[in-house]
Amino acid sequence: MNGPASAVQCKGVIKRYGSGEAEVLALRGIDLEVRMGELLMLVGPSGCGKTTLISVIAGILDQDEGECLLFGQDITRLPADERTRYRGQAIGFVFQSFNLIPTLTAAENVAIPMLINGMPFESAVAEARSRLRDVQLEGREDALPTQLSGGQQQRVAIARAIVHRPRLVVCDEPTSALDGETGHKVMQVLKNVAVGSDRALVIVTHDARIYEFADRIARMEDGRIVSVEQAERGTKENVP
Amino acid sequence: MFRIALKMLLGDRGKYFGIITGIALASLLMIQQPGILISIFSRTYSFISDVALPDIWVMDPMVKYVDDSQPMLDTQLYRVRGVKGVEWAVPLYKGNQRVRLGDGQLVSSNLIGLDDATLIGGPAVMLKGRLADLRLPDAVIVDEAGATGRLAKPASPGKKAEPLQVGDILEINDKRARVVGIARAGATFQSQPIIYTTYTRATTYALSERKLLSYILVKAKADEPVANVTARIRHDTGMAARSADEFKDMTFQYILNNTSILTNFGFVVVVGFIVGAAVTGQIFYNFTLDNLRYFAVFKAMGATDRMLRRMILLQALLVGFVGFGLGAGATAVFAAITRERPGLSMTLNWQLLLGSSIAVAVIVLFAALISVRKVLKLEPAVVFK
Ligand SMILES: Nc1ncnc2c1ncn2[C@@H]1O[C@H](COP(=O)(O)OP(=O)(O)OP(=O)(O)O)[C@@H](O)[C@H]1O
Ligand SMILES: [Mg+2]
Repeated sequence: MNGPASAVQCKGVIKRYGSGEAEVLALRGIDLEVRMGELLMLVGPSGCGKTTLISVIAGILDQDEGECLLFGQDITRLPADERTRYRGQAIGFVFQSFNLIPTLTAAENVAIPMLINGMPFESAVAEARSRLRDVQLEGREDALPTQLSGGQQQRVAIARAIVHRPRLVVCDEPTSALDGETGHKVMQVLKNVAVGSDRALVIVTHDARIYEFADRIARMEDGRIVSVEQAERGTKENVP
Repeated sequence: MFRIALKMLLGDRGKYFGIITGIALASLLMIQQPGILISIFSRTYSFISDVALPDIWVMDPMVKYVDDSQPMLDTQLYRVRGVKGVEWAVPLYKGNQRVRLGDGQLVSSNLIGLDDATLIGGPAVMLKGRLADLRLPDAVIVDEAGATGRLAKPASPGKKAEPLQVGDILEINDKRARVVGIARAGATFQSQPIIYTTYTRATTYALSERKLLSYILVKAKADEPVANVTARIRHDTGMAARSADEFKDMTFQYILNNTSILTNFGFVVVVGFIVGAAVTGQIFYNFTLDNLRYFAVFKAMGATDRMLRRMILLQALLVGFVGFGLGAGATAVFAAITRERPGLSMTLNWQLLLGSSIAVAVIVLFAALISVRKVLKLEPAVVFK
C-alpha cells in the first residue's frame, strides 16, 4: 500500500477572525506536519491559536489562506456534505467541556458517532458499552452525565471520540478536569486506541503531567509554530 | 439519530411539557371557539329547522331574518292557497309577547301560533303532554329551556326556583294560559322562551296587533319543483317566498352581517393562533437554542444538514401531534359535557378538526423552520469553545 506519508500536512495556514478594526489574526502562517502513528502535542500560552489550529486540521473551520492536507487529501475541496461525512468517519473529537448530551446515557452518548455513520441503534449501543469497558466505566453505562464525576464524564467523551476507530483524533485539553492519576489512565487508553501505523493523535494541552506521552511537542506563540521538538521519553510510555 | 432526537426532546421533561401545553392550549382555542360560533350561528335558524314540514316560507317582502316577522293580511293565506302547485298552505304566528310570572315579573317570550286544524310548525319532540292537547281551552306548550329557565316558578324565600310543570298557569297579556306540555326545541339565538299555542288563540293573546299573520307555510305538490312554486307565489301574491334553506341562509347572513359575533370569535381564534404560534415557536426555539451546542457536536462529528433538519422536524412533529391530541381531546370532553345542556354548547365536526390540525401543523413547522435555520447556520467550530 502506498498511502500518504503524513496524517496532517499544513502549509502557510492563515486564519483571521472578524474584520476591519476588530480583526484578529489567529494563525499567521502555520507549517506543521503530523506523522502517521504519532501523538503530537500542541502547547503554548492562552490565546496563541491552538484551538483554532486543531479546528482547521479537523475540518470544522476554514482557513483563509494556505492548505491543510488530511491523509493526503484537501477536504476543503470536497462538497459540503461529503466533507461532513468524511469528518464523521475519519475524525474523533474530545472537547474540553466534554459536550456530552445531558438527556442521553453514557452508552448512548458514546454511540453517537456510529449512529451518525448509519449504524442501527441497538448494535451501536452494544458497541458503545464495550468501549466504555475499555475506559474503566463498566457498570456506569446507563448513567446520565450528571450522575458521573468530571473524570468519568471525560472518559465517556474519550470513548465517544474513539468508538468508530477514526484515523485522526483531535483533543482540546482532554485531561484538564482530571487528577494526575486518572489523567494518566485516560492518556493510556487514548494512546492505545488512537495511535497506530495509519493513524495519528493531536492533543492541545497545558498539562505538563502528560507531556511524557507525546512523541513530539509543537510550541505555538501568537499564531505561529515556534518549535517542534522530540519529546523526552518517560517511563509510563512503555506501559502497553 | 432519530431515537437520539426523541430522547433529547423527551429527556427534558420541563421543556417538553411546556411545549405540548402551549400547543394543546392553542389547539383548544382554535377548535373550541369556532365550535361555539358554529353552534351559535345554527341557533339563528333553529326555528326554521324545527318547523321541518313545509318546503316554502311565504312572508312580507320586508322580512330580513326569521325573528323579524312583519305581519301580513290574513287574506294573503287564501291567495297563496290559490297558487298553482301548492299542495297546502297554513298560517303561522310568530311574535314576542310578555308573560307574567306568579310574582308579577314580566318575561319576554316568543309566542308561536300554529294552524288550528293541523298544528303544523309545532315542536318535533314532546317531553311531557301531547301536541294535540293544544286544542284544550287556554292551552299552551312551553319549551324545555324556557320551562327550566326564564319561565321557572320564582323562588319563594328559602327555596329554589322550580321548573314550570304541566298544569301550571301563566298570564300572557293579562290572559290566562295553561301549560299542557313541555317540548324540546332548538335553542334560539336570543335564548327566549318559546310558547306554542294555536293560531286563533295567539290572535287573542296578541290582541293589540291588527295584522297577525307572520308566515305562510307551504307544501309544494310532489310533482312540482319547489323553485317553480316559489317563483309563482312571488309573482301571483307580491309576497316574498323562500325555500326553507334559502330562508335559513338569509337569516344566517343577516346575523353575520349585523352583529359583531363573527369578529369577536374570529379575533379569539386569531389570537389563539398567534399566541400558540408565538409561545410554541418560542419554547421550541429555546429548546433548540439550549441544545445548540449539541447540534454543533453532531455537526462536527459528521451529521449532515439533511440529518439535522430531519431530527428537528421529527421533534417538532412529535410535539405537534401530542399537543394537538391533548387539545382536541380536551375540546371533545368540553363538547360532550355541553351537548346535553341548554345554554352554552359547541359543535365539533371534522372540518374544525382538520382546520385546526392544519393550523397546528403550520405552527410547529414554523417553529421547526426557525430552529433549523439557526442550527444550519451554526459553525461547528463552536464545539471547542
Ligand atoms: N470566534 C472568534 N472570533 C474572534 N476571535 C476569536 C475567535 N476565536 C478565537 N479568537 C481569537 O483568536 C485567537 C486564538 O484563539 P484560540 O482559541 O485558538 O486560542 P487558544 O490557543 O486555544 O487559547 P486557550 O489556550 O486559551 O484555549 C485569540 O486571540 C482569540 O481571542
Ligand atoms: Mg483553546
